[in-house]
Amino acid sequence: MSQLFQEAILISILASTLRIMTPLLFSAMGELVTQRAGIWNMGVEGTMLMGAFAAYIGVTASGSLWLAVLAGVLAGVLMGVVIAFMTATMRVDHFIAGLGLNLLASGLTLYWFQSYIKRREQPTFSGFQNWPIPGLADIPFIGEVLFSQRLLTYLALLCVPAIWFLLYRTRYGLELRCLGENPKALDVKGLSVPARQYAAVIFGSAMTALGGSFLMLGFSDRFLADFSAGRGWIVIVALIAGNWAPKGVLVAIVAFAFLEALATHMQVLGAPVPHQLLLALPYLASIVILMFVRFRSGQPARLGVAYMRE
Amino acid sequence: MITFERRVEPNLGWTVAAFALAVLACLLATALLLATTGADIGQAFSALWKGAAGSRRALTSTLVNATPLILTGLATVVAFRAQIWSIGQEGQVFAGAMGGYLGATLLMGLPPVLFFPAVLAFGVAAGALLGGLCGWLRTRFGVNEIISTVMTNYLIAYLMSWMLSGGPWTEVGTVAYHQSPELPADAVLPMLAGIPRLHVGVVLPFVAALFCSVLLARMPLGYEIRGLGYNPEALRHKGVDIARTVVVVMMISGGLAALAGAIELFGVSHRLRADNFAGLGYSGIIVGMIGGLSPLGTVVAGLFFGGLASGAVSMRVLSDTPAALVPAIQGLTLFFFLCAGVLARYRIVRKAP
Repeated sequence: MSQLFQEAILISILASTLRIMTPLLFSAMGELVTQRAGIWNMGVEGTMLMGAFAAYIGVTASGSLWLAVLAGVLAGVLMGVVIAFMTATMRVDHFIAGLGLNLLASGLTLYWFQSYIKRREQPTFSGFQNWPIPGLADIPFIGEVLFSQRLLTYLALLCVPAIWFLLYRTRYGLELRCLGENPKALDVKGLSVPARQYAAVIFGSAMTALGGSFLMLGFSDRFLADFSAGRGWIVIVALIAGNWAPKGVLVAIVAFAFLEALATHMQVLGAPVPHQLLLALPYLASIVILMFVRFRSGQPARLGVAYMRE
Repeated sequence: MITFERRVEPNLGWTVAAFALAVLACLLATALLLATTGADIGQAFSALWKGAAGSRRALTSTLVNATPLILTGLATVVAFRAQIWSIGQEGQVFAGAMGGYLGATLLMGLPPVLFFPAVLAFGVAAGALLGGLCGWLRTRFGVNEIISTVMTNYLIAYLMSWMLSGGPWTEVGTVAYHQSPELPADAVLPMLAGIPRLHVGVVLPFVAALFCSVLLARMPLGYEIRGLGYNPEALRHKGVDIARTVVVVMMISGGLAALAGAIELFGVSHRLRADNFAGLGYSGIIVGMIGGLSPLGTVVAGLFFGGLASGAVSMRVLSDTPAALVPAIQGLTLFFFLCAGVLARYRIVRKAP
């Protein structure tokens, strides 16, 4: 293999790593906020699916990619309201509420999808194009990997420091982390626990749905059943593996995205391994990662525990 | 001022009222769903009823459709009662079908009395192994069972996809169908009393439900399962080996779900094909939870959703409603029942301001 070819492959793998991690990163940063607020939202998968579906309807109905993103985010807000109502108001077990939401989302999207394409050919669309940053994109290697991405990819990368700043350097972030560690402290100060939990869950779900929208508009040209294909669960694994800290979660997401990029490239290069087994790699990796991740120091003490005023 | 107050004792009348409200909400939501896509609501409901209970054929189809749902529902009951949130039923159904298929390829030619129990046992063993693996991952490595079961669902689905397109079980001569060759006629479950489509496997969910209620109510392991749900710490002090119990519970749960897959293979689909098994496991979670995590309730809920699945076919034919209405209704019903479960635990009290 010539050196030029090898370099082209490497650039392609790294660039697609960044693209693949975009939806995961949006979702993970949103979920980080939700979980630091003490809500174990297991409905990430369903929320991402709903966001992707709303974006599909949005883009095929309006023809505008940004209206489609807006539709996806709004769907996420709605999902967030439902999850917050179930966990913070009804105090249903967080796992059950999340599982219920996933099942609801997969049923509803499939039903609406089948109704939408009834008696006609499935409409398709052309998604986001690359948005090279002038000047920076011309740097050899680095420019091609980092600065020739889609606009939302840059935004997702900027989210990491932004969420870090929100959590650790603002008054709101302090209250948020307190929700997950000691909600009573907020309550006795006269600050509403449910209101803050609603805000955190809705923000997290909107971010996850934004990720779902990008998954739809950045990778595909049509909707399919089970479109999110377990990515919501990978986000949850990344939160645990990253010990609930922005930097750690980022590292975990990069690792997952790199693995997926590698698997798809091996498929294209014609590696003598069945492609189904390559596609199964991220799921296998999730289990192996969780087997060996031992540190759980960052897990909020009241994660998944309903707050009751006694 | 009117406020909600947690009840000390459940009140039967209020509980019934809460769940009746949930059923009403489900019907309304279903009507709304039909309206969002412009279907004729009355026509759709009447087609649904016709397909679920309108004739002898419809009742047969309801029973056949309910069979895997009750079994995956029971798998949910056994795990969830122990507060083990396994959602691996989907993958275990696949594993059960694949195990059964493997058994059939190995044991072809045995007399039916031996063949069918043996191939079903192959299927059950595959699911029990898969469930037990996730239980072991939890007790040995602390891997959350929700995540490990979701991930194994995907792993098994990809494994089956490979086996059926490129792997050893690919049907020769077809490239694009992603299915195995059809089982020979000898390997198809016999029909009950000669009624077409009513295979003998429909009896097994009821046997399994009886087994589960005896297990939960009368056997030491059942006591441990319930104890694991209420107070694992107390159970530990009693000298119960919690790790062992978790693995055993996951094996039973996995075996029940896998039985659903094996019966579906030998009784209904007669070949491996992902479409024929997809969704049975996830629906089982809903069936078990709506059944109140009791074996009897699960049988009732399973029959109800079996009827829905059967009715949906005639609804698609007669009123052109998408088949995915069923999973949508299932998801909605689960949500309303969860809310009703909470509502039943509260009472409305009027207090002086």
